[in-house]
Amino acid sequence: MRTCRRSFALLLLLAATPAAAFAQVSLGGGVTVGGEVTATFGARDEAAPAGTVNPEKPAYFNYTDYAHNALRMFRVSFSGMWQPASQFAFLVELRSENLDRVTPYAMYARVRPWKKLPLDFQAGRIPSVFGAYVRRYGTSDNPLIGVPLVYQYLTSLRPDAIPASADGLLFYRGLGWQVGPPIYPVGDKTQKPGVPLMTAYQWDTGVQGHFGGRLVQGAVAITSGTLANPRVDDDNDGRQWSGRVSFTPVVGLVLAASASQGEFLTRQITDTYNALLNQDNHYTQRGLGLDAEYSRGYWIVRGELIDSRWNLPKINNPPIDRPLHATGGFVEGTYRLSPRYYVAGRADRLTFTRILGKSQPASAPGTWTPWDAPVNRVELGGGVKLTRRLTGRGVLQYNWREGPVQFIATKKFYSSAQLAFWF
Amino acid sequence: MRRLPWVIIVMAFLGGPLALRSESAANGSIRGRVDVRAERTANARPDTSGLGMAASREGTDRRRSVVYLESAPQSAFETREQPRARMDQRNEQFVPHLLAITAGTWVDFPNDDRTYHSVFSLSKFNSFDLGRYAAGRTKSIRFQNPGIVRVFCDIHPNMSAFILVFAHRYFAVTDEDGRYRLDNVPPGTYTVTVWNETVRGDLPARIVTIGDNGGEVDADFKVQ
Repeated sequence: MRTCRRSFALLLLLAATPAAAFAQVSLGGGVTVGGEVTATFGARDEAAPAGTVNPEKPAYFNYTDYAHNALRMFRVSFSGMWQPASQFAFLVELRSENLDRVTPYAMYARVRPWKKLPLDFQAGRIPSVFGAYVRRYGTSDNPLIGVPLVYQYLTSLRPDAIPASADGLLFYRGLGWQVGPPIYPVGDKTQKPGVPLMTAYQWDTGVQGHFGGRLVQGAVAITSGTLANPRVDDDNDGRQWSGRVSFTPVVGLVLAASASQGEFLTRQITDTYNALLNQDNHYTQRGLGLDAEYSRGYWIVRGELIDSRWNLPKINNPPIDRPLHATGGFVEGTYRLSPRYYVAGRADRLTFTRILGKSQPASAPGTWTPWDAPVNRVELGGGVKLTRRLTGRGVLQYNWREGPVQFIATKKFYSSAQLAFWF
Repeated sequence: MRRLPWVIIVMAFLGGPLALRSESAANGSIRGRVDVRAERTANARPDTSGLGMAASREGTDRRRSVVYLESAPQSAFETREQPRARMDQRNEQFVPHLLAITAGTWVDFPNDDRTYHSVFSLSKFNSFDLGRYAAGRTKSIRFQNPGIVRVFCDIHPNMSAFILVFAHRYFAVTDEDGRYRLDNVPPGTYTVTVWNETVRGDLPARIVTIGDNGGEVDADFKVQ
């Protein structure tokens, strides 16, 4: 509560600061700075504190991989760019959620070797080339407050701890906010959140090249993590390659396809099972994505579809004997009613392939069941530009899981309000 | 929207400045130079989510100012023409960055870039939203009310411009060297004021008098 008050006070202070204070973002010497502060107020999503009388089941629909609620968060970001020459720049962005730690979200060098050729290279902690929303998160270009399920919703998979059987995985259907031992006996010995299909909350580390043609644009990257688990350090000596090709037939229409593949499990788990089975298997995450955007007049319509496939080792019976797929997508529309007001909506769905358990799920053992509970979300809202730099947003969000699940709510309705200030 | 001094509007109804002496006397000119100590702003806000180098752009030239009379003769308000002005969107900048017009002027906003732009203003008396439109297209808006209109692009946060809407025609935008000239000013005593986007607080102003024989009066300004 104290954090909430502090954050709100800070936001008000920034909003009340004369625009003149932010008019000059240049510090001279090729250095520019910017940033954004957002304060989001919404209902709790997590388990009620111990001792609560008649507590509701927790829902965890909006939990992120940093164990924060996306509808109840204070976020500060500062970005800076040093461009000592026209073809070279160094960029950094620091973010903090709920004022608890500062994370270098971006930190990389950008080079354009040939001045007249739109070919750029970036190295460091870089923006993902896969998909579209991931580069939009945390900017003023988001009409709603919630984050699409494919970029935020925590599945029951972890890169550093795995279930021994299909029953172990099915036990955690819908419980991706906290998974691990004893049900996941292999790997890390602590309970931690699972991973989303692709996280919007961290960027990966590596190098990338991008060609920005007028009709066709393309980008490829080699990084140390995966879509679900971007990393600064490398936990498995594996590399992820990823790429995106986009096509802009007319101004306002973008059609794109993305692909990626990288080692998912930690070296410790991979080495253990390869030695045990005398094999040289790769336990990867492979991603395929399509995205599109069309805008005209007062309309913007965006959509994305992402399929992720993970390979896990077969350990005990009943085995996880096939790759695990998760497929999710969303469609989002925004309409500007006037210079100040807009309305927006998004429909989301996340589904999972079926596996066969023996004793799970508890209510229907021995049936082919999606390995995690499919989730749906509808979010409707709107916003008002209080000033050019200060925007107020409000949303209503309804989520529901498809059973069977245990220990967790199957549906929940949320409302949330946000003040966002950029400079 | 920040309002221009109320005197301009009030004078339109009072029938001209009290200081005006004779309608039949020769008109004169007020000229001079506005020395602005302001550097170009850097237009590039850090774009950490970009995959490539943003197009290089010159920063906004903030040295241009508008010099105007705070009060004007009645005839200055009786314009029947509906003039047009133009503010281009070129290389992700508004060109010109500073435009001065009379109330009732139509301003065309042609998009000369390859990308979309979405021009809007939150100004209280001249708010508008032209929506997204592509290269080669032009949208227009008529500015009916005097005041200062800040113009932005909803897609490119670095783009901004000013349009100053006057109730009379006695104003001028300074040139590259800061020079200006107000012609055809009837004899009388006037307050000449300078507006520049870098000025916070009171605007620089001087009292000048055009004699019955007309002639030229010099009025230089310094804007810190």
